Amino acid sequence: MTNHWIDVKNSDVILVMGGNPAENHPVSMKWIMNAKEKGAKLIVVDPRFTRTAAKADIYASIRSGTDIAFLGGMIKYILDNKLYFREYVVNYTNASYLVNPEFKMPGELDGVFSGYDPAARKYDKKTWSYQLDENSIPKKEPALKDPNCVFRLLKKHYSRYTLDTVSAITGTPKEKLIEVYKAFSSTGKPDRAGTELYAMGWTQHTVGTQNIRAMAIIQLLLGNIGIAGGGINALRGESNVQGSTDHGILFHILPGYLPAPTATLSDLKTYIEKHTPKTKDPKSVNWWGNRGKYITSYLKAIYGDKAAKDNDFGYAWLPKLDEGMNASWLMLFDHMLKGKFDGFFAWGQNPACSTSNANKVRKALSKLKWMVNVNLFDNETGSFWKGPGMNPKDIQTEVFQLPACSCVEKEGSITNSGRLAQWRYKAIEPIGQTKPDSEIMNELYFRVKRLYQRHGGKFPEPILNLSWRYGTKDSDGRIKKVDTHLAAREINGYYLEDIYDKTADPPKLIGKKGELCTNFVTLQADGTTSCGNWIYSGSYTQKDGKVINMMARTKKSDPTGLGLYPKWAWCWPLNRRILYNRASVDPKGMPWDIKRGVIKWSLTKLNPQTNKPGIWEGDVPDGPAPPMADEKAGKYPFIMRPDGMGAIFGPGLADGPFPEHYEPLECPLSENPMSKKQRINPTVKLFYTDKNSLAEDIYANNDSRYPIVATTYRVTEHWQTGVLSRHIPLLLETVPQQFVELSKELAKEKGIKNGDKVNVASLRGKVWAVAFVTERFKPFKIMGKTVHQIGMPYHFGWQFPEDGSAGDSANLLSPTIGDANTMIPETKAFMVNIEKA
Amino acid sequence: MSNNMIRKASAFEILNHWVLALSFFVLMISGFGFLFHLEGLNSVFGSFNQMKAVHNYIGIVFTVSLLLTVFYYLPVSLKFSGDDITWFLKGGGYFSKKTETPPQDKLNAGQKLYYIFILIAGIAIAATGFIMWLRPPLADIRKWILISHFLHNISFDFMVIAMPFHVYLATLANPGTLRIMVYGTVPIEWAKKRHGKWVKRAE
Amino acid sequence: MLRKALLISPEICIGCRGCQIACKEWNNLPADETKNEGTLENPSDLTPNLYNKVRFIEVPSETTPLRWLFVSQRCMHCDDAGCITICPAPGALFKTKEGAVAYDKDKCIGCKLCASACPFNIPRFDKNDKISKCHLCSDRISEGLSPACAKTCPTGAIRYGQRDEIISNSQKEGYEKLYGQADLGGLGVLYAFKDAPKIYGMDEQPAVPETVLLWHNVLKPLSYLGLGGAVAASLLHYIAFKPKKDEEDK
Repeated sequence: MTNHWIDVKNSDVILVMGGNPAENHPVSMKWIMNAKEKGAKLIVVDPRFTRTAAKADIYASIRSGTDIAFLGGMIKYILDNKLYFREYVVNYTNASYLVNPEFKMPGELDGVFSGYDPAARKYDKKTWSYQLDENSIPKKEPALKDPNCVFRLLKKHYSRYTLDTVSAITGTPKEKLIEVYKAFSSTGKPDRAGTELYAMGWTQHTVGTQNIRAMAIIQLLLGNIGIAGGGINALRGESNVQGSTDHGILFHILPGYLPAPTATLSDLKTYIEKHTPKTKDPKSVNWWGNRGKYITSYLKAIYGDKAAKDNDFGYAWLPKLDEGMNASWLMLFDHMLKGKFDGFFAWGQNPACSTSNANKVRKALSKLKWMVNVNLFDNETGSFWKGPGMNPKDIQTEVFQLPACSCVEKEGSITNSGRLAQWRYKAIEPIGQTKPDSEIMNELYFRVKRLYQRHGGKFPEPILNLSWRYGTKDSDGRIKKVDTHLAAREINGYYLEDIYDKTADPPKLIGKKGELCTNFVTLQADGTTSCGNWIYSGSYTQKDGKVINMMARTKKSDPTGLGLYPKWAWCWPLNRRILYNRASVDPKGMPWDIKRGVIKWSLTKLNPQTNKPGIWEGDVPDGPAPPMADEKAGKYPFIMRPDGMGAIFGPGLADGPFPEHYEPLECPLSENPMSKKQRINPTVKLFYTDKNSLAEDIYANNDSRYPIVATTYRVTEHWQTGVLSRHIPLLLETVPQQFVELSKELAKEKGIKNGDKVNVASLRGKVWAVAFVTERFKPFKIMGKTVHQIGMPYHFGWQFPEDGSAGDSANLLSPTIGDANTMIPETKAFMVNIEKA
Repeated sequence: MSNNMIRKASAFEILNHWVLALSFFVLMISGFGFLFHLEGLNSVFGSFNQMKAVHNYIGIVFTVSLLLTVFYYLPVSLKFSGDDITWFLKGGGYFSKKTETPPQDKLNAGQKLYYIFILIAGIAIAATGFIMWLRPPLADIRKWILISHFLHNISFDFMVIAMPFHVYLATLANPGTLRIMVYGTVPIEWAKKRHGKWVKRAE
Repeated sequence: MLRKALLISPEICIGCRGCQIACKEWNNLPADETKNEGTLENPSDLTPNLYNKVRFIEVPSETTPLRWLFVSQRCMHCDDAGCITICPAPGALFKTKEGAVAYDKDKCIGCKLCASACPFNIPRFDKNDKISKCHLCSDRISEGLSPACAKTCPTGAIRYGQRDEIISNSQKEGYEKLYGQADLGGLGVLYAFKDAPKIYGMDEQPAVPETVLLWHNVLKPLSYLGLGGAVAASLLHYIAFKPKKDEEDK
């Protein structure tokens, strides 16, 4: 989230698209309804009339996988009707940048941007560049008239997204499109705020990243980023998913969104060089310019004294990806099925149900020599070998079941979607033989370490050199009990030496050796500080010698009245509650909307740091520098971007600087109505390319056997694959079985009655479900033909309830394909058929 | 049987009468207990839960007992003649010592009518009682229960009003009557006066 | 103590059923075994183990595929409670000082008459035939806590408070009259409906069944008055006419 949960109450228009907060984030509805009571409009765009839609002022139905068409139409509407916030767009975004004249767009190149290599399914991004001045700073044209400026290109690109085209693609009636566009773009005024809430309905597509990009463009055009009641807000699918990505649980990042090192970056210097953006623009903060400090402090945190200047701080011990290597979720199981793995830790997860094309996963697991399943309960993954279609005699995989305790049986932090890290205490002791994950990891670490110590190994240093200071070590060097506070302190970071601000005269002491870091601003690149995750630096800190766990704070004061609650827990970065908040003020530092001022540049007060008048009031600003208009010290608002500007033109992504509509891998059309030659995202990794591909990865497009669009989702009453919720009888009582929602029209066509047992099948699998014949789904008119859509939750699995009464995962149906940038599987749009069982 | 006595009730009739009477009193007392939350009755029944059980099961006794009377009271009660009407017109002779009433059958007109009413009310109270107790699986059982509850209480009111008259007429008002339900026999002379038709037929 | 009440606002209910689960957890109610029957509403009706249930109501609409309404259904805690009126067992059903219609399973005799006298068909009976229904978490509210449902509701669609304050606040919010404000002597569960109550499956004018009132007001007094009257009449007759003695005829 750019903003935070409570902030939704400050909105005038709330667009829920790609999410379903009433069902999956019910508590957020408190703030949505709160906003509504104050007169806000709630817009819900969803293939299905959800419980959120039931509360909407405007509901628009949309065929799964066509969000970019829908949003592209909105961009066109905003531009055509001049509803954008011009001052914001000109000053705070790259709309005025002049782009390389060689840059060409899908309208000109049959559905692809310039530089496309069809064989590699990749772009050469040479032309996706700016015209630079003599200082290598992009040339700007603030009048926004130059045909090569970002703004004009944007207008040209989305001129193709006419109401008729969009309506024919999405199936949304034209008048609904206009209604939504009009309502949302009404927030393009300084005194109006519009927010967007999305979740897996946007990410789980082959164009997932671009779905969000499209919205980012809209929010930048309307001046909705950085303000209270604005932003683009990802509603994370699990209570601590934000925390897990922050702490680098994905393959491509280390903690704090430091890119995972690759084998070609052979030393730390090269790594820093490669991953540290540069700018010569004095007004750009370019915060990632600090990369070197963060990676060095990270290495010091994990390797401790073993990390020294002369050994590159142990950079060599970090695991490396091969250049261009894709180690994403889908690839793991692809490799597993091809026999490239011996073992697998399924830790707090249930891929046999959660992963798209779950049959492939289940088969892949059978190729393992061993698997460790760490979970609260046995699940479809741990018991895959006795699942449907499996012959236990043929499966050699040895499965170890490690019982983990639940979140209430351990202490630690949890970070919610709003980046709020909150400390949670242990309520009860772990039941039976269960252990906290940290204890399991601790045990595993020392056992693996002993193996290396006794038997050596190819590359023991990464294990042997870990500092692993998470508890008191006994005489044989082992930690018997993990203290999560020590982990939290390591994440925050320590001063390893006395640290001085050398720019001051005389040098001023910033931090004393051995103390916890104040925040990441004080981190150093020379190995004199350690920090396990720079964005969390400041979460567990020390003031006047006193250690403070900032995440455990519980003060309920709200000085701004905006619901920032700055003394409740702690929010990264630096307890900043609304990101990009420097964009919430005009270039002089006055809030665009004084009623909703997140921060304000106050010239009447003296700044204790500079001893000059001028200080930010309100939320923690995106940097203490004066506002942009300050000739000498003013800075641009988007400090994480090298150029300091909100990116309407986004050349960083794999699939294009502007989002373009592509059809899902499986869709009901033979071609993309936007560009006939390019049906699907040209840069996605295709798993099934010819008959030599794995049969499991097969897909069906515009196939009369599978004519119905399907999507998966969750219901309020269950959680994820249901491993936790299916074991709770009260929840199973409320939704006991797999179901499929379908329209009355489709039911009539198929002779299905409400409550009938039906089979839903794709090319990859089949599941039974109970039919919910409902008005909540309506057939679409797509390119003149009637297209039906159905939807199923993915909460169920064969393993529990043990009588199989709940059915099996809807992911047995979904395909193996991922987003071009993130590889998040496309489980929200695929093709099936439905028949009465 | 001695010469000057005549048998008016069989041993079975006597037994059944007292079974009916006793069950009636148990039901009535517990019924009042339910109506007015007479917690003092706990000293008799133990608790309202037990009182409910007693009320239910004694209800079966009452019902069976009542139905058995049909065999010996109903035939005669259904035989009405002009004499019965005259009897009614004369108020059964209860409102003047001088009134002469027409000769009566084994049961006099008042007794016949009383029996018919008691039978109807008894069947009603029993049937509605069983409906409330057993709750047959009917679609709109809640309505059936309400109707039953209402009729049960109407019958109850009728019975508690009728009962004292029955006791009075069988004791104080007509000395010598009670012995029918003790010995079963009455003096012939006594019977001739009150049930002339019956005695005549019996002779 | 002033009467307490719940205010249920379907307009802000999101159908999450948190109240349904929280109620079962607080009251230690076991799960019922259910099956999907073509609707998200499970169980399909209140059971002895389900005191509070969210009903999902689909209403045709002109602007959207449908209107989907959510409303919590449970005991209304009537002031003129038909169940208490009809209950033959002293102390089985009673009103708490907060105005909740609570019950004592030990004293319940399992006659189930309350189920018929309830204008809202709320009482259910457990396997021992004892009454089972919402009691407004009488164990919580007597300690000054709010009922589990209100406590857990994320949007404030179920609120607990002083009944008179709820009513006056709702009037300020533009609700001329809450459902249950005056019905049955005033309900302890008030509904802020913007639609006709009928849409939510509620009676426009809920009332205790007439037979129950007639029974209570007429038949009950008649029973002891009648009994006493009959005894008195007999005695009067005895005094006035004396019995006919056969000897007197002679």
